[in-house]
Order: sequence, then structure tokens, then C-alpha cells
Amino acid sequence: MKCKEVGLAIEQEGLLPLPPAAKAHIAECGACRDMVEDFFAIVHAAHAMPAEVEPPARLWVSLRARLESEGIIRDLAGTPRGSWLQAISAFFRSRAVAAATVGLLILAGAFLEVRQTVNISQTEAPAVVQTGPSNEDIPTVLDPIEADLSNMMPANSMAAPVNDSLRQNLRIVNSFIADCKQRIQEDPQDDLAREYLNSAYQQKAELLAAMMDRGGSVN
Amino acid sequence: MRMRTTMPNWGSGLAAGALLLAAWPPDASAQRLEKHFAVKGRPVVVIENVANGRIEVKAWKNQEVVLTEIQPSNKVGIETEQAGDRIDVIANVLDASAQPSEIEASFQLSVPEQTELRLKTQTGLIYVEQVVGDMELRSVAGDVHLKEVSGYIVVRTTGGSLVCTQCSGKLDFQSISGNAQILQPALNNVTLRTTSGNILFDGDFIRTGIYTMSSGKGNVEVRFSGNDSFDLLAQTTRGSVDNQAEPFLKPDSHGFKHLASKFTKGLFGTVGGGLAKVDLSSFSGTIRIRKRD
Repeated sequence: MKCKEVGLAIEQEGLLPLPPAAKAHIAECGACRDMVEDFFAIVHAAHAMPAEVEPPARLWVSLRARLESEGIIRDLAGTPRGSWLQAISAFFRSRAVAAATVGLLILAGAFLEVRQTVNISQTEAPAVVQTGPSNEDIPTVLDPIEADLSNMMPANSMAAPVNDSLRQNLRIVNSFIADCKQRIQEDPQDDLAREYLNSAYQQKAELLAAMMDRGGSVN
Repeated sequence: MRMRTTMPNWGSGLAAGALLLAAWPPDASAQRLEKHFAVKGRPVVVIENVANGRIEVKAWKNQEVVLTEIQPSNKVGIETEQAGDRIDVIANVLDASAQPSEIEASFQLSVPEQTELRLKTQTGLIYVEQVVGDMELRSVAGDVHLKEVSGYIVVRTTGGSLVCTQCSGKLDFQSISGNAQILQPALNNVTLRTTSGNILFDGDFIRTGIYTMSSGKGNVEVRFSGNDSFDLLAQTTRGSVDNQAEPFLKPDSHGFKHLASKFTKGLFGTVGGGLAKVDLSSFSGTIRIRKRD
């Protein structure tokens, strides 16, 4: 098993238990061992984080009233009260989870990138730098969120100036990502372009998270 | 906490104050409310403005924080809280159907010289003058202007630009389309990153200081003085390096042996003894290196 395959195995099968082939590789590869240790540290830290504070009940009441007044939801008579509360709650939770996932993915991507670069320089491996799985995977996470947001961002006049600015800057970041990707396709060894691409993905994730927050607070 | 509705007393700096007040939106119907908070040590002031509007902070000699809220309508709710030396201000939009002009809340603050700040707004200027303390300033579309401030300064904007005049300490600026202008600084640690904005650093590099400036599509310009001492690394992927200070840049005589990637254009050099470290980079913008006259 190679370093890249260890990452894939963890991605597909999780950290516990580690596949035997991955274990064997990790026993011999210091970089991958450090990586796995760091993943365990991240998981441990995540478990230690306090649970999210539940939003107050009045928020759901006012939200329901607004959704009904705008015709987005209909009369819910006969529907168990818990069901729509849970649905809305799940809606917001899924967005929070999505934002966190994007952040973690980018973090892991940057981490793998650094690990691989260090590993290659230490072992004097061939000059071709392996591309971490992160850059290919990030769009699959970010693009659906972006598509959802374009439908979700409120069109009301109140939020217009700020939302316009966010959308405009999202276009700038998307354009820059396209430029960086094109450059990396031309010259896969261009580390500076790769750094810019990672940074642009990070910015895009933060921008989408900000847009989600606004969507949540305005709606 | 005392409350009264009076005009703010700005104390010293009348000329600058008059200029600022002249620039204030002239809305006669705006409500002004002044709140006073007595503090003992170094206060921490947190303003989270979910609405639009500007925030101005100026230092004064009094051991008191004075907050003046300016609201054009009652569609923004402002809550304030004091817990010891921490003062929290939150401005929330009460009516989501309100027009943009109705959901503004602007703030003027007089604070002790040694104050920590955490300010957040959506649009509108953030202006801070003569405050010493760590500060975190966030804006979506508003600019951030800092004058004679000192501390660990963190600025995050989406499209807003930063102008930092005579600042000292550490500065960390990140933006997507905002520009950064650093004028006459005494900063010993600077990180400026923007995706499409321009960067201008016009001032001295402090010995042992570390300066990192990076723009994706914008230009990066550095103007240094003849007395400066720094190692310079400038690299760009698709842009160009305009070195107008060639006579002052010597080959790097110490430290790492830099190997330029064949995929980037760049230069390495040393000015003086190379005591500070300056890293400049761009993706497609121009990097310009100039010596001040």
C-alpha cells in the first residue's frame, strides 16, 4: 500500500479499525503514522467539544409564522408538531455539518499536501509531486452547497447590498480557482499555483459558510 | 451605567473629529443615544452589527467607555451589556422586510487608550484611531481605516479595503477583493493576503521583522528606505516582477540557498544586512519593488 492509498482507505473505511494493509504501511512510514495520529487527535478534540446550544422555542415559532405568511409552508394542522420542527432543525444542522465538513476536508487536504511534499523531499522521490486527493474532492463538497445557496439566498431588499457583495466575491474566487486549476494542469509542479488554489478553496468555504449564516439569520 | 441623549464629547482632536462628523450621514431623523460605561482596567469592547452601518472608535484619557448609537429607524434593535470591563453591543435587524436604508445602526465610541476591540459590521466603515490593544475587525463590504493603532491587529474583510496609517505591532489582513495600504508603519510582523486586491506597503522594515504579502490577481508594491535591512523573496506564477531598486539589492549572502522554480518568476536579494524577512508573491499580478526617494 502507498501513502495515497492509506488516505483513501481511511476516507472509505474510517479510522477504526484500520485495514491490515494500511497498518502494515503505517508501521514503516513515519509520515503516514504522524498523519493517522493527527487524525485521532482531531477526532478526540471533536468529541471533547461541547454540544451545540439548542435554539430557543420562540425562534421556531416565529420562523414557522414567517414561512406560513410567505406561503413557503402550508397549514400544518394534522401534522405532528415535532415533525416540522425536526425537519427545520435538521435543515440547519445539515448546513452546519456541511460547513464543518468543508473546513475539515480543506484542512485534511492541506495536511496531506504538506505530508506528501515532506515525504517526497525526505526520500528524494521522483520530481513529480503527487496531487493529494483533496483538490479533486473539494469541488464535490463545495459545488452542491453553492448550488443550494444560490436558491436559498434571500432576494428581499434588506439583505441586498451585503448579499450582492458576497455573490460578487464568490464569482471572483471561482474565477481565480479556475485560473489556478488551469495553471496546475499546465504545470503540475507549480507549487505556488497549488498554494494559491488551496487558499482559494479555503476562502470559498469561508464565503459559503458566511452566506449560509446570512441565509439562516435572514430567513 | 448612565444613559442620556446628548451630543458626544470627543475631547481632543477636534479637527479630525469635525472631519469625521462632516462625513457622517446627515439624517436629521436619526435617533442618537449615548451610553456611559465606567471601567477599571483595560476594557474589552465587542460590537456585533448584523445590520449595516459604520463604527468609529477613538481613544481618550478618561477611564470610561462612551457609546453613541445612531439609528435612522426603529427597525434595528440594539442591546448593550456590561460585565466588569467587558462591554457587549449587539445590533439586530427586527424587521426582515425593511429597506436597506432603514436597517442601519452606526456607532461612535470613546474608549480608554488601552482597550481591546472586537468589531463586526456588514457594510460601512470601521475607523479606529489611537487605540492600543489587540483588535479583531471584521466586515463584509465595509472598509477598515486604522490610524496610530498598536497591538495584534486582525482584519478580515470580504470586499472591504484596509488603510493602516502609522500602525505598530502585528498585522494580519485577509480579504477576497479588498486592497491593503500600509503607510508609515512600525509593524514587526505583517501578513497581507488578498485574492484580487492590490497591496501597498510604504514604510520601514523593522529588523527581525517578518513581512508576508500575497495577492492572487492584484499588484503588490513595496517601497523601502535606504536604511532598511532585509532579505527579499519575490515570486509570481503568471505575473511579473518590476524591480526598480536593483542597485540596492545584493545577492543573498547568508542563510538558505534559494532555488527558483522553473515554473515561477522571481528574485532573491538582500538589502543592507538582511535582518528582516520579506516574502512577496502573486499569481498573475505585478510585484513592484521601489526605494523611496
